[in-house]
Amino acid sequence: MAMKKNTNRLLSSFESFCYKYRYIFAVIYVLLCVSIPFLGLNRVQTRLLMMIALYAMLGMGLNVLTGYTGLVSLGHAGFYGIGAYVCALLQVNAGWSFWPALLAAGVFTAFIGLLLGLPSLRLSGSYLSIVTLGFCEIVQMILKQWESVTNGNYGVRNIPTPHFFGIPLTAKNGGLLLLIVVLATLTALGCLALKNSNTGRVFFAIKDDELASTMMGINTSRYKIVSFVISAFITGAAGGFYSLVNGYIEPTNFVFNTSILILSVVIVGGLGTIRGMVFGAALLQLFPEVSRGLYEWRFVVYGLLLVLMMRFRPQGALGWRSTQPYHLSKQAKQILAQPETKKGGAA
Amino acid sequence: MDGSGHPSKEMKKVIAALLALVMMLSLVACGNKDDSQKDPGNGPGTSQNDPSKDNNTPSTGGTIKIAVAAPMTGDNAEYGIGFANAAKLMAKEWNDKGGVDIGGTKYTIVIDEYDDRSDSDEAALIANKIVSDDDVYGVLGHFASGICMVAAPIYQDAGYVNISPTSSHANYSGIGDFIFRNNTVIVVETATGADIAIDYLGKTKVGVLSIDTEWGQSAGKSMEDNIAAKGGTMVLRQEVSVDAVDFATEIANFKSAGAEVIMVAGMYGTLGPLVVAMQNSGFTVPVVGCSNAYTDNMLEYAAQAPDIQIYAPVAFFAGNTDPKIQAYVKAYTDAYGAAPSALTTQAYDSVGIMLTALEKAGKLDRDAMKDAIYDVEYDGMSGFTTFDEIGDAQKVFTKVTIKDGAWALAEG
Amino acid sequence: MVTFLGATINGLVLGMAYALIAVGYSLVFGILRLINFAHGSIYVFGAYMVYLFVSLQVGLFPSILLAILLAGLLALLVDKITLEPLRKKNSMLISDLITTVGVSFIIQNVLSVEKVFGSERKVFPSLNLFSNITIGHITIQSSQIIMFVVALLLLLVLTFIVNKTKIGLSMRATEQNSRAAKLMGINVNFVISFTFFLGGASAAIAGALICGYYQVISPTMGSLIGLKAFAAAVVGGIGILHGSVVGGLVVGVCECLAAQYLGSNVRDPMAFVILIIILIIKPNGLFGKKGITKV
Repeated sequence: MAMKKNTNRLLSSFESFCYKYRYIFAVIYVLLCVSIPFLGLNRVQTRLLMMIALYAMLGMGLNVLTGYTGLVSLGHAGFYGIGAYVCALLQVNAGWSFWPALLAAGVFTAFIGLLLGLPSLRLSGSYLSIVTLGFCEIVQMILKQWESVTNGNYGVRNIPTPHFFGIPLTAKNGGLLLLIVVLATLTALGCLALKNSNTGRVFFAIKDDELASTMMGINTSRYKIVSFVISAFITGAAGGFYSLVNGYIEPTNFVFNTSILILSVVIVGGLGTIRGMVFGAALLQLFPEVSRGLYEWRFVVYGLLLVLMMRFRPQGALGWRSTQPYHLSKQAKQILAQPETKKGGAA
Repeated sequence: MDGSGHPSKEMKKVIAALLALVMMLSLVACGNKDDSQKDPGNGPGTSQNDPSKDNNTPSTGGTIKIAVAAPMTGDNAEYGIGFANAAKLMAKEWNDKGGVDIGGTKYTIVIDEYDDRSDSDEAALIANKIVSDDDVYGVLGHFASGICMVAAPIYQDAGYVNISPTSSHANYSGIGDFIFRNNTVIVVETATGADIAIDYLGKTKVGVLSIDTEWGQSAGKSMEDNIAAKGGTMVLRQEVSVDAVDFATEIANFKSAGAEVIMVAGMYGTLGPLVVAMQNSGFTVPVVGCSNAYTDNMLEYAAQAPDIQIYAPVAFFAGNTDPKIQAYVKAYTDAYGAAPSALTTQAYDSVGIMLTALEKAGKLDRDAMKDAIYDVEYDGMSGFTTFDEIGDAQKVFTKVTIKDGAWALAEG
Repeated sequence: MVTFLGATINGLVLGMAYALIAVGYSLVFGILRLINFAHGSIYVFGAYMVYLFVSLQVGLFPSILLAILLAGLLALLVDKITLEPLRKKNSMLISDLITTVGVSFIIQNVLSVEKVFGSERKVFPSLNLFSNITIGHITIQSSQIIMFVVALLLLLVLTFIVNKTKIGLSMRATEQNSRAAKLMGINVNFVISFTFFLGGASAAIAGALICGYYQVISPTMGSLIGLKAFAAAVVGGIGILHGSVVGGLVVGVCECLAAQYLGSNVRDPMAFVILIIILIIKPNGLFGKKGITKV
């Protein structure tokens, strides 16, 4: 156990180091992002970085639901697929341009998230996971069967290249990578804001003790649905981006195993953290690459890694407790400050 | 977890972990080439006696590579491994002759295996890897149509010749001029199938069962058209999941619809369980599959269904008395312990076509190689092959059936 | 009418086999509140063991017995090696869930390694031990009759074990309140191990029966059938034995009727459609007791 403590201490001193110089890091990060098209990354590196950023974003989406609110979804591939199809079909069939289509993908998926969130009012724990699992299967069926709209098993192809003020964004010029990095960064900032907001705190309260939260007068059902909607929105937008990555999507891209992969990113990285999503995505996307030499055995090793991870570091690789001072909202600070001033006045 | 953690020791551990991550990253970043070179030797498809290994031909002009990109592990691994085996056999034959003669210089052929795991994202990644390798001149591959649709634009964009032995998506070869397929065109194949069902077997009421993949749907549709063209009637069309093993409902429906023969648009993995289920339920009408049913694996299922006659239209038949084909079948069987299937043979010919085109082009230039492919008239094991202007192969079919536990030509 | 009857009979038979798998989920869920994703792969493992021993000329019945034993042991080992340490650490439920996913990855992928069994579909020995029975226009295969009868007998045996024996009493006690059960002197760890063994053994029997009926076996067949059986367990009310049976039958019959009247492609998602409908109407399943949330 001493090792764990030391590791955690080390990690949190690393964290405070990062926190101290956060503006410098932010500047470096922005510079790095802007220079993506000029870094001379080769095709494979671009592709890998793109997938890592995409899965980090997917992870952050699921994290809102699972990491913050404690609702385990086994069907996020369903949201992911809906987002991808909405974005692709609006572009290919309805002639929309990418940006509104991406937004529509997010919004529509969020709406589906609302619908799926409704049963969560009545279901708890594992039952909810099962419903999400069934949801993913049903989405899969609809994508395959509703041929007049989704083109069924033939998939959607010829998804156009997005343009940003006339500049085409492709994998080749690094535009797509830049796009997903920007999307993932926005998501991360959004998640950070959410985490520090009242809503975010309610999410954590529900996760830690739903009964106690209800006792505190929190309308947990409403917040659970909000959590579903936010999570679905992020996942849908990530799906919208995914439709560009291969230029072709088909129903089998969004199956149960994809859900499990997204969930693994969240768990391996560290539930409830944002840094963990990036790390988890990087680890799981690079793993098949690094372990190529293991051939058929690599998924055995993958399974073994999951098991060992849960055994020895269930909070995830980067899931340490933050030692940073807790961010309070202005409102909370005011409330906390009031008794002080009163006391001061009395004295 | 040792309880006696010393801070500096822990520090080392963390640093070691970080270093490992950095190494992982750098491995991926710069190790792509090493990876692919290791592949051919240790691939899962490599049997103990790998024919491409035991050639010691002195290379005079270095090597050129042909990439095989297909599922080597996971669901469709048997097909990918078959592709790789066929490609290695073809490469060995050329290397034994001294290699590819390009403008007077001989080049040795190396086969690189890439595993796409039947996963679109994995396929896109390896396609990017392949086109980052300057020594690769042709890509044999991708098995499933959906995967091909993802990978092909990458090959087209980079200007690498890609021949798929199996892709059936209607828009596949239209992706670009570097994209070819050496599979059988469904319309021609199912026409022969309909010919077996209606003219050869003399039945009129035909049932069609297709799997719910893009290929299954296209083939099923084409079967319907061809049955009508031959003057038969399609009494019922049913679609099943590609993973389906339960055919009780479908068989009952065919029975009540009065089907006299059933045409199946599915791989042996669907056809096999179907004939067994038909046998078990006592519905013993003949079954006509597609050319991909022609594989030794099908014989096991046929043994369980002795009352069902199984037919298939094929462009390649291992029992063909042509000495050239006999030599090929013998070489393949000696190397890998089983007779080549229809799909494996299409892969074998595809590599042959690429190498012939490269030789014909007379220079190490992918553009010239691509142009040469359109002019190739390749007399391969799966028949005489030419490519039309969009890059589809034209082939001639024969009829085969299972008789006494082995595939045989259907007489008449 | 004939088609309706035919589909219903097929569905009932299939449903009994689902029930046999569902029981494994149900037992484990009842005690640990855990969806054991490794259960589907244990079903596959059991079927492959039958396949292996039959191909080693052991004979069909001894093979099935050996497979039952081995699958039960594997399920028990999975619990002992991977899940028990987590329980000791009082870790989150989600860690257990991911662990079982990891275990199913391991089992399924070891089975599909080329040198082990390979990933392709193989022919499984037939369970058609006597000739088919034809009533009117409906043909019932002997393997279907065997599947139905064996599954029914086993479910009766399981019900007997759970309701009438001492170990069954311990199981029910642990299910209701494991801490109190422990205080009453029940060896909770043994009860959990026994539950896993029972689940694994019944999954192996289901594997032998289902594969013997279809005569096909593949390493990936467990995931879908596992999820369906799980849906069946939840539909009936998870943790309740007769609930699993009814759930299995409902899923099996609905599936076959859907295939008959709505098209074969609706077959597989049907289980989940029923699941969602039932959960929305009755959140604890058909026979589920109200308010069994563990705090």
